[in-house]
Amino acid sequence: MKKDYSILKKSDVPAFFASLANEMQLIGPKQLFSGDVTFDVIQSHKDIYWDYGHVVYPPKRFLLPHFEDMFRYTCDQEIKIEPTCNPQPQAIVGIRSCDVAAIRFQENFFSYPIVDPYYKEHLNNTVLFNLVCNTPPKKECFCICCDSGPWLESGFDVQLTDLGDRFLYEVGSDKGEKATEPRAYMLLPATPADIEARRQIELQADSRFQTVSYVAKAINFISADEVPAKIWEDLGSTCFRCGACTNLCPVCTCFTVDDREESDGTFTRCRSWDSCQYAGFTREASGHNPRPTFGSRVARRFYHKTSYQYIIRDGRHGCVGCGRCITACLTKLGLPDVVKRIRREMHEFLPPKEKAAEV
Amino acid sequence: MSYVLTTCGFCSCGCAMYVQQENGKVTGLFPSENHPVSNGRLCIKGWNATPAILGADRLRKPLVRRGEHLEATSWDDAINYAASALKKIIFESGPKSIGIIGSAKTTNEECYSLVKFARSVIGTPNIDGACRFYDASLIPALLETTGTPGSQVELSAIPKAGSILIVGSNVMEQLAHVGSRIEDAADNGCKVVAIDPRETRLAPHTSLWLHPKPGSDLAWIRAFLKIIIAERLYTKNAPEMPGFEELRASLEGIEISQLKYSCWLEPAEVHKAVELIASNPPTIVMFGLGALQQPHSTEIVKGLANIAILLGGSVMTLRGQNNAQGACDVGLTNDLLPGYLKLADPVARKVWELVWNCQLPAEPGMTAVEMLKACESGTLKALLIFGENVALSAPNTQATLSALDKVGFLAVSDLYLTETAKIADVVFPACSFLEKDGTFTNIERRLQRVRKVLEPIGESKSDLEIIAMLGAAFGAKMSADPEKVMTEISSSAPIYKGQSFRQLDEEWGQPWVPVGSEAKLAPIEAVTKDSEGEYPFYLIASRINFHQQTGTMTAKSSVLAREYPETFAEMNEADAERLGIRPGSSIRIISETNSLTRVLSVSESVPKGCVHVPHFFGGNSPNALASYETDPVSGVPIYKAYAVKIEAVR
Repeated sequence: MKKDYSILKKSDVPAFFASLANEMQLIGPKQLFSGDVTFDVIQSHKDIYWDYGHVVYPPKRFLLPHFEDMFRYTCDQEIKIEPTCNPQPQAIVGIRSCDVAAIRFQENFFSYPIVDPYYKEHLNNTVLFNLVCNTPPKKECFCICCDSGPWLESGFDVQLTDLGDRFLYEVGSDKGEKATEPRAYMLLPATPADIEARRQIELQADSRFQTVSYVAKAINFISADEVPAKIWEDLGSTCFRCGACTNLCPVCTCFTVDDREESDGTFTRCRSWDSCQYAGFTREASGHNPRPTFGSRVARRFYHKTSYQYIIRDGRHGCVGCGRCITACLTKLGLPDVVKRIRREMHEFLPPKEKAAEV
Repeated sequence: MSYVLTTCGFCSCGCAMYVQQENGKVTGLFPSENHPVSNGRLCIKGWNATPAILGADRLRKPLVRRGEHLEATSWDDAINYAASALKKIIFESGPKSIGIIGSAKTTNEECYSLVKFARSVIGTPNIDGACRFYDASLIPALLETTGTPGSQVELSAIPKAGSILIVGSNVMEQLAHVGSRIEDAADNGCKVVAIDPRETRLAPHTSLWLHPKPGSDLAWIRAFLKIIIAERLYTKNAPEMPGFEELRASLEGIEISQLKYSCWLEPAEVHKAVELIASNPPTIVMFGLGALQQPHSTEIVKGLANIAILLGGSVMTLRGQNNAQGACDVGLTNDLLPGYLKLADPVARKVWELVWNCQLPAEPGMTAVEMLKACESGTLKALLIFGENVALSAPNTQATLSALDKVGFLAVSDLYLTETAKIADVVFPACSFLEKDGTFTNIERRLQRVRKVLEPIGESKSDLEIIAMLGAAFGAKMSADPEKVMTEISSSAPIYKGQSFRQLDEEWGQPWVPVGSEAKLAPIEAVTKDSEGEYPFYLIASRINFHQQTGTMTAKSSVLAREYPETFAEMNEADAERLGIRPGSSIRIISETNSLTRVLSVSESVPKGCVHVPHFFGGNSPNALASYETDPVSGVPIYKAYAVKIEAVR
């Protein structure tokens, strides 16, 4: 796609999104109680809380709902199935770049080798307007270590950069183009000064991050299966088993399926987020569990996030640096902490001779 | 799509969470980032709260017993059925023949309303809360010592503590937000001293772990106090505190060297523990059900409070249920009025007699356990139970089921057809905290709003509405509006003064301020305990993080229920070897009153001579093995440390 910079003046933002709202539901950051913010249906452009920072509850749920009814069925004389999942067109406005990168990862996962029709339908109906982070919204952010922010080079539909009285407006996909086209008359060509302003944001980005993560180091150790079980067990010993790390990870895709009996005698098949951190997630019908200990389950999560086999399969490692696993963890098992501990302890584990050889 | 901010109804931490609702269904849930407790985090029960309380088999219609069966009926019919049964019993045997047990899971408004209904509408003194089955012993103990019947500090104080003494709590699995902050404290250099026979997941964060003999807490607590006083480790003004001399005198004659036999503790270890907490102020003394359900639990809490007072530290109570604090605050106990005013105090009685327009007796009514015994003996003719699965949460399941079966009239209000509801004469379908408004008070004494997310499931109603309907059947006007009920509470109970829904809709609630409480040291006398004999093992009952209490709710979540497909008990490998029982085989755990079958696993975290029996759900509860023996002061049953024997199931 050709890189094409335009300008959407903030004075035109109300008209722009009012016009878009005629075609699809708008979802955007909205203020709740006492400074809490979440993505919600936006009735008026005034509700969009552009300076929201970051949200705990990832917008992945508009494509992979936390709890979703898939279909309803009866099994009296004959089995009747009635779909209950009926996604409507939606635009997610103000989503962060890391969350868009994560959605691209999920899109890949849910398309190959088996297409997940529910995810696909949600995705086909969704256009993403991501907002570049001029400064990292939270001290836990480390997207810059994961090639998933603060801005995106590709993979976005429409990318907005706040330049004060205007947004720099970039279209990155056919879907983005289609959502822009009816309103293209509101866009102005970007001036060299606008492009320079954006370049300054890019140049200064790396000095603004407080959290860094040596993901490459972890990829090496984990891909080579070199991390001793004791390190994983030590990490597992402090895990609270709450499952927040996987629930809130914008990349995590795992779900469980339940059949719920309704009061009228019908059944609803629902799916809801599940976590590899629970024993029940991998226990086999025989009772055997390939991930029997807490440490082995923590290991599983990090293999999935950083091992080379998944990079080959999915095209990138499974972390976008959003920092939610740091803030949501009841202990200290966020990705940067674990990577740091693996790096340190690996060096402690190596006998002195090998250490010498390494130098 | 909408988001409603409410307070989690599982443990007593009281996290604020947003529940996302679409077309009458829950479609999402997440923690508040700015709330002082949840801080952007939830525990496993919080994350799975909604499937647990919205199970497919929720009660949708009132049920009344016709012969052998419970049949669905209308609300009018169920209320009339209950009211006429109760009126008949009052006419024949008087109001005192009716007992009422409330819940520590329902809202403050509901607990208060139930107390008012019992005392002013029915006119019975026999009203008690489910806290009697869990942690009620801390109330008389703390009223006598710290003067604050609850935690003295907020959760935010934990990471700043210099030392923490934590007794008898599986805190990491049951109160994750306390556990998480203890970990923060330890990372900040705080010395954490844990005292528990069994090592739990707190272990990586502790400086010292003492494994006392189960049930011996009072003995080592007296030793701690003795060392603190003898070595002058107390704060400067301690000797001038009221009760200091009496305390010192009560500790005379303790031989620290005897601890090895009485508590399985090495004197040097005990000295080290005392030194760690005394030399690292500020100290927080925390205790959970492990301490609160032992023999002489009131004395144990007084002793622990003394330790905190002597060291100039503070007490934090690690209670089980979400509204344990609030239920007691609003007077859901047999011997107190709202705001912890004593029933025996004529001035306090006068205040509430005016509010409720009734006469109040000075004598306390029966405790929950006494009510069960009275059902069996026939003294009680009717029992009303709101929101507590007494059949499983009371001790001595066999005797409890027989008592509930024997009582002339049993009415139960609950979400599900629990083991208790199954044998009732009338069952009221109650709605969950997602379907009603009100307030809960958390472990920090913080009053918090519960907000309605969904319309009630089926025809279920809040306990507040059910109590108001029952009241109306007796010709009494009781409000079903939670906001009005809170106004009534806050205008007469000094501790809730100034609290209102309006204020809670503007900012997070604040912990209530204790009224005129001066710390006082209490003497701690020695008690002697009989030895084991035929029953050579001590039982350690615990809770696991996937389940809450009797599992009525958590068992409904497929994610929570699947985590442990098999109920198990743990023993030390040496004991299992000595008994010749292999891990994976079935064992029978036998107490004087009952027996229980579990699958054996071995664990080094369980000391020799003990068996660890976690709570699960569906009737497989270690409570079954306990007797009706209680702490003599508070009437809390002894669920911990009783003697059992183990047999292989062949």
